[in-house]
Amino acid sequence: MVETLQHLMTGFGAALTPVNLTFALIGCILGTLIGVLPGIGPAAGTAILIPLTFQLDATGAIIMLAAIYYGAMYGGTITSVLINVPGEAASVITCLDGHAMAKNGRAGAALGIAAIGSFIGGLVATILLVVVATPLSKLALSFGPPEFFALMLVGLVLVTSLAGESLIAGVLMTVLGLLISLIGIDPVRGAPRFTFGIPELYDGLGFIPVVMGLFGIGEILATAEKPYREVIKTKLSGLIPSRDEWRRSMGAIWRGTGIGFFLGLIPGVGAIIPTFMSYIVEKRLSKHPELFGTGVIEGVAGPETANNSYANGAMVPLLTLGIPSSPTIAVLMGAFIVNGLTPGPFLFQERPDLVWAVIASFFVGNVLLLILNLPLVGLWAKILEIPYQYICAGTLLFCMIGAYSINQSVFDLWVMLGCGVIGYLLRKLNFPLAPLVLGLILGPQMEKSLRTSLEMSAGDFSIFVTRPLSASMLALAIVILVLAALQFAPKEIRDPNAD
Amino acid sequence: MRLLKLAIAATAVALIAAPAMAQQYPSRPINLIVAFPAGGSTDIGARVVAGIAERMIGQPIVVVNKGGAGGQVGWTELARAKPDGYTIGFLNLPATNTTILDPERQAIFNEGSFTPIINQVLDPGVVWVAANSPFKTMKDVIDAAKSKPGTVRAATTGILSDDHLAILMVEEANPGATFRIVHLLGGAAQMKETLGGNIDVSFDNVGGIVPQVRGGQVRALAVMDIERSKFLPDVPTMKELGMPNVISSSTRGIAGPKGMDPAVVKKLQDVLSKAMADADHVKRLEDAGLAIKIMIGADYEKYYKETHEKAKKYTEWAKNRPQK
Repeated sequence: MVETLQHLMTGFGAALTPVNLTFALIGCILGTLIGVLPGIGPAAGTAILIPLTFQLDATGAIIMLAAIYYGAMYGGTITSVLINVPGEAASVITCLDGHAMAKNGRAGAALGIAAIGSFIGGLVATILLVVVATPLSKLALSFGPPEFFALMLVGLVLVTSLAGESLIAGVLMTVLGLLISLIGIDPVRGAPRFTFGIPELYDGLGFIPVVMGLFGIGEILATAEKPYREVIKTKLSGLIPSRDEWRRSMGAIWRGTGIGFFLGLIPGVGAIIPTFMSYIVEKRLSKHPELFGTGVIEGVAGPETANNSYANGAMVPLLTLGIPSSPTIAVLMGAFIVNGLTPGPFLFQERPDLVWAVIASFFVGNVLLLILNLPLVGLWAKILEIPYQYICAGTLLFCMIGAYSINQSVFDLWVMLGCGVIGYLLRKLNFPLAPLVLGLILGPQMEKSLRTSLEMSAGDFSIFVTRPLSASMLALAIVILVLAALQFAPKEIRDPNAD
Repeated sequence: MRLLKLAIAATAVALIAAPAMAQQYPSRPINLIVAFPAGGSTDIGARVVAGIAERMIGQPIVVVNKGGAGGQVGWTELARAKPDGYTIGFLNLPATNTTILDPERQAIFNEGSFTPIINQVLDPGVVWVAANSPFKTMKDVIDAAKSKPGTVRAATTGILSDDHLAILMVEEANPGATFRIVHLLGGAAQMKETLGGNIDVSFDNVGGIVPQVRGGQVRALAVMDIERSKFLPDVPTMKELGMPNVISSSTRGIAGPKGMDPAVVKKLQDVLSKAMADADHVKRLEDAGLAIKIMIGADYEKYYKETHEKAKKYTEWAKNRPQK
C-alpha cells in the first residue's frame, strides 16, 4: 500500500509537469468537442488523433488520448440535454430526463449535475483502479459467455420498468429493437439476414444514425408542428442544482459509480449498458418512478456518473490483462502499441513511471474537466434562448453532418431521416423510445453470447444452469419478472382507464 | 479532310494527355480504405504507412475506416470505386478470399475485382493457450483432440477467418483429431475467454499475442509459417513439428479497383515501397509485432492467386463440416 502511494506520488510528479498538464488539457478540450459532435464517437476520434501523438513522447501521448476519451464521455451530454441529440452513444439515456429538464428551464442544473457526477464517478473509479485493480480483473474474467447472456437477460427483464405507462407498449418497443438489431450479417455464421441484397445493410443499421433520428429528428418534427414555442428562459437559479436536487442526486451518483466501475471490469460490456442499468436502477428505487422522463435529476445524475466511472473502470482489464474492453479502449491500446508499449501486467514492471503517470493523469483530467465545464454551463444553457426556428435548422444540419461523418455514407442519412419520422410517430402514439434503444443494444450482445455459449457446450443448454454465476442471474431474472407482473397487473385491473 | 485532321489532332491530344494525367498523379488527396474499424492491427499498419507515404507523394493519404461485415462493406466500396488511383484500400488475405468464396455472403466482388498493388504485412498464424493450461506443447493439444474428439474447445477470431482455416488444416494433418470450434468476434474476445478458462486453445496471429506472451499470461505452442517468427524465436513452426502443410497467415496489402492505369500503379508502388522500407515504418510495425513482408507486382499477384486457390478448398470444407 505504501509502495502504491509512493508510485502514485511519483506519477503525480510526472502528470503535473507543465508539458503533460498541457496535453491533458488539450485532450479534455478535444474530447469534449468530439463528444459534442454527433457521429464522431470517442473511438473514431481517438483513432484519428493517434498519428498526432507520434510526435510526442509515450507518456504525453497516452495522457492526451486518455483525456480525449473521458472528455468525450462528458461532451456527449451537452447536446443530449440541449437539443435531444446524443453526442455519443453513452449519452442516449440522458436525452430522456436531461432534455426534459432543459424544457423545464433547468438545463443548467442538468449539465451541472452531470459534470459533478462525472467528476465523482471518474475520481472514485480511479481510486478503485489503484486499490483493487488486479484481484478484481481476474474475477471479471470468469464472466464468460453464459454469464454474459444471463446478465443481458436480467437487463431485458428489467426493461419492463422502462415501459412508461403501458407494459405492452414497452414490450412491443423492446421486441422491435431486438428485431432491428437482427438486420445484417449473422455474427457467427456469416449469413446476411433481412438485407435484401443491399450491401449497406450487411452491417446492420448504424446505432448512431438510428438514435439521432429517433431522438433528434423526432424532436425537431414534434416541436416544428407547434406554431410557436416560447423561448426557454433559464434563470440564474436554474444553473445550479437546488438543495433538493442535490439530495436526490447523491444516491444516484454513488450507485452510478458502482455500476459503471464493475461493468467496466467485464470486457465487452461497452459504455452504453452501464448508463441504461443505472437509469433502470434509479427508476426502480425511486418513490416516483412515474415521473421519470419528465425531467427527474436522478435520471441524469446516475447514468452520467456511470459512463465516466465505466470509462475509468474499463482501463483495469487493459492495464492488468492487456484486454481492451471497448472499441475506444482498443484504439487506446493501439496507441500504446505503436508507441512501443505493450499493455498488460508486464507494463507495470517494465514502465511503472508511465503507468502511474497515466493513472495520476486520470485524477488530473477529472479535475480539469470539472473546471472546464462548470463555468461553461451557463454559456451552454444560453443556447436555448435562441429562437427555436434557428435551433431547429442548426440541429438538423448538425445531425446530418454527424450521421454522414461516421462512414461517409449517404445511406446513413436516409436511415437517420427515416428513423426521425418513426420517432415522431412513436412519440405521437405515446410509445416509449428507451426500450427500443435498449433492445437495439442488447440484441447483438445477447445473440452473440447465447450462440458462443452453445458452441462451447456443443449445443447443450445446461451450460446456463450448471455454472453458479449464470444460474443465479437467471434466477434473479425470474424473480424480477414475477415482481414486475405483480406490480403491473393490479394497477391495470384497478384502473383500466389509465393510458 | 478537315474531319481527318481533327481526328488526328484529337488522338494526339489523347495520347499526350494520358501519360500527362499519370504524371500529374496525384493532384488531390488519396483515400485509403481500411475495411475494419479504427484501432485494429490493419488500421494501425495503414495509419503508419499513410503518414510516411503522404510526405513522399506530396498529397494527403486519408485513412477511411469502412468497417463492418467482417470487411465486406469496405471491400465492396473498394471494388466499386473509380480506378483512378484516388481510392485504394487494404485487402486482408485470406479473409477477402473467403468472403468471395462463401456463397452465403453474396459478395458483389470477386477475385478479379481488384488490382493488387503492394503487400505490407504477413502475420503468421499461431496456436496458443493460457499460461495455466495443461497443454504444454502442440502435441498435447493434438493428443487431446484425438483421444476425446470434439471436446477441446478451439477458438477462432471469426468464421472463415484465417484462424478458422488453420484449425481445419491442423485437423487435416492429424487424422482423427477433431476440435469443438468456437467462433469469437476478434482477438480481444478470444484473449478474454481463453484467459478466463472458457476456451482450451486459441488460433490467432503472432501480432495479436506478442504482448501477452512477453507478459507471461499466455503460451505460444506453434507458429504456422515456413520459418520461426522473430517475435517468438522460441516457438517451433508446424513444419518442425511434422506438419509442413499447416501454413496460415493474415496478409495485409494495398490494392485498387480493377482497371487502374499501370503508370499510376507504378507510382504508388514506388512511393509505398519506399515508405515501407523507411526506418520509422519498420520500427513502429515491429513494436506492434507485425512482420513486414513487401511484395510488389507479379510477386504479390502470384501470392494473391495462390491464397485464393488454397482458401477455396478450406472454405468448401468449412461449409460442409458437420460441426461448424
